[in-house]
Amino acid sequence: MKKFFDRIFNYRVRALIRKEFNQIRRDRRLAISLILPPVVQLTLFGFALSANVTNLRMGIVDESHTPESRELVANLTESKSFRLSGYYFSADQLGQAISEGRVETGVVIPYDYARDLSRGRTTTVQVLLNAMNTNTATIGQGYAEGVIQSYNATLRSQGVETIVRPVSAANGGHHGRISLQPAFLYNPGLVDSWFTVTGVFGLLLILNSSIVSSASMVKEREAGTIEQLLMSPATTTEIIIAKMSPLFVLLSLMMAAALVVLKIVFDVPFQGSVLYLLAGGALCILSGISMGTVIATFSKSAMQAMLTSFFVNPPLSSLSGALNPIEAMPAWLQPLTVLNPVHHFAAIVRASMMKGSGITSLWPNFLGLGIFTFVLVSLSVWRFRKQLS
Amino acid sequence: MRRILAQARKELIQIARDWRTLGLALALPLVLLLLMSTAISFTVNDLPLVVQDYDNSPSSRAFIDAFQASNTFRIVTWPVVSHAEDPLIANAARAVLIIPLHFGRDMDRGVETPVQLIVDASDANTAKIVSGYAARITAAYNQQLSGGSGQGPVLSAIRLWYNPGLSSKKFYGPGVFVLGLSMFPPLLAALAMAKEGEQKTILQVYVSNVSAHEFLLGKILAFVVVALAECVLMLILLFTYFGLTFVGDPTPFLVSTVLYAFCVAAFGTMVGATIPNQAAAMQAVALGGFLLVFLLSGLIFPIDNIPPSIRWLSNIVWGRYYIEVVRDALLQGGGWPAVWLNVWIIGGIGMIFYLIGWKNMRRMQLRA
Repeated sequence: MKKFFDRIFNYRVRALIRKEFNQIRRDRRLAISLILPPVVQLTLFGFALSANVTNLRMGIVDESHTPESRELVANLTESKSFRLSGYYFSADQLGQAISEGRVETGVVIPYDYARDLSRGRTTTVQVLLNAMNTNTATIGQGYAEGVIQSYNATLRSQGVETIVRPVSAANGGHHGRISLQPAFLYNPGLVDSWFTVTGVFGLLLILNSSIVSSASMVKEREAGTIEQLLMSPATTTEIIIAKMSPLFVLLSLMMAAALVVLKIVFDVPFQGSVLYLLAGGALCILSGISMGTVIATFSKSAMQAMLTSFFVNPPLSSLSGALNPIEAMPAWLQPLTVLNPVHHFAAIVRASMMKGSGITSLWPNFLGLGIFTFVLVSLSVWRFRKQLS
Repeated sequence: MRRILAQARKELIQIARDWRTLGLALALPLVLLLLMSTAISFTVNDLPLVVQDYDNSPSSRAFIDAFQASNTFRIVTWPVVSHAEDPLIANAARAVLIIPLHFGRDMDRGVETPVQLIVDASDANTAKIVSGYAARITAAYNQQLSGGSGQGPVLSAIRLWYNPGLSSKKFYGPGVFVLGLSMFPPLLAALAMAKEGEQKTILQVYVSNVSAHEFLLGKILAFVVVALAECVLMLILLFTYFGLTFVGDPTPFLVSTVLYAFCVAAFGTMVGATIPNQAAAMQAVALGGFLLVFLLSGLIFPIDNIPPSIRWLSNIVWGRYYIEVVRDALLQGGGWPAVWLNVWIIGGIGMIFYLIGWKNMRRMQLRA
């Protein structure tokens, strides 16, 4: 083992590593810009990207004006999901308010609401939802149905349904009801930020490592010192190892800082082994660095390198399932996530932090990440010598 | 006026000569639009569900069929003997439905029969959707069993307005359209302006007879043209692939688009004039153009969800006002009464950017 390490980190590599470290140490701005912004970004993303659907503004048209209708309104608006925003005189006015964005949902209670209830007839209440935002609408729809169902249950227990029942018993058999009892594992409080920050974590690792490494690799080329480096007795592999080491150390520090934020600011639970997390993070950083190196070998200036990473990073982040569920992507895009390091890392982070999964269920992700990293590192070694031609 | 036009022409020629920049300016917004609006979506279907049927009776299978028939769930086979948590730990399913022993017997007796649904809540939002769907399927199944009229006394008729198909593409498309406009034109403008400072060509401007206003307006005009070109390309995509159209009066949209193009171009020139260093200017635009608009404009989630401690920031994010106008024009159709204030604010923020840029440009001379 020792021999192996001695062969990889021989005296040439050690000297090169020392040179790279010295270079980075003089560049204080780089060190600071590596640690500080990710922490701020992680916090901002975690707080700002919250899918929580609460306090939807609700407008009411109550044509019934009865205690029964007011009870329904109270039931709807006393939950955390809906907030009473105002009463309107007609459905048209309510529609106007929704189209101008003053309220997000509206309820129209018909004039014969209480009369139908007391006679045991089924009465229909109209619920209008601004479905522009599909996520909010889907969840809001669920809430509204839930509230009305539980309201029905109360009415039934008060005996309203005894009048309804005989009608239904005539044509149906004698059947029980299924009551579905959901239990939420791993995140019983349904905290949204846990999902967001664990996804953003991987995004930041890849994004920052690729940008920083492409900037530092291309610097040698801009300054024209790359020929000198390639003329030295060191092999390309050795140069790449030496170039990657200081960045790797710095980025690992960034990962540690981000982990602290995850734990302290967002209080993400830590069920599994930290080892998996760190191993996944290390692979992620390595693949990010080599991605940056490959980008740098294709660019002639820092500008071009930056612009190219603008091309590469958005698809990588939006097609990873880091910020939204993979099942929501078009079916033909879903298999592509296998090639995405952010996807694998997000899966590892979530599973090992929140679910406490072990290697038995995480090995495919580690394998995917490992292969990706290996291919990219090899590609960067190969491209590094080629870039002069 | 002539000098403004000449300045704008010079700028456009410079952009057109650099194919990489031109590609960035025109193709990348389209790529971004296609990619992000199809990828950012929270409407899930085909969710993997494991069913553990301890009863295995005709009635339990009938209940499972109700889940199988839905578009939302896909039933994954998993050995019944295993622990219910296993498929969740292995990431093989989003939820596990457990049907207890004697389910069929209890149903026949007419008793209320509990069925457990264990949901993987590590993705809280999807967990809410999963349990909502499952509850809806169960309710429909109950209703079907009791012959259709067994539902409660109050029936809710839910109407989904403006996007009845719940197509998330239609919601995120206009948002990403705004993101693209807030990102690329100011990026190019900032780079062009910072370059003048970096290469000291700004000094030539000072010795010429072009006034600061004319110079700035010329630059901004060039990038307004770029922004409007991007806008037209993206609109074509929105109208064809996304199936959107103007649902109401398009004039507020047209007016605010021109104002917004001015606003973002002025933002870019302001950044470039303030930070005469291309890399640093680029980072500043990435922060202002991308991060702020992406996070604090209501692009993905409503602004109301952001905790109040940082929500106030969204009041100064220019993209927020434009997103509201675009969504109104393409989805809601509220017209002028709904968005007149936004149009004023966009113009106002653009003026502020312009004035700061103008002030800083005078200082550029000292530093150059």
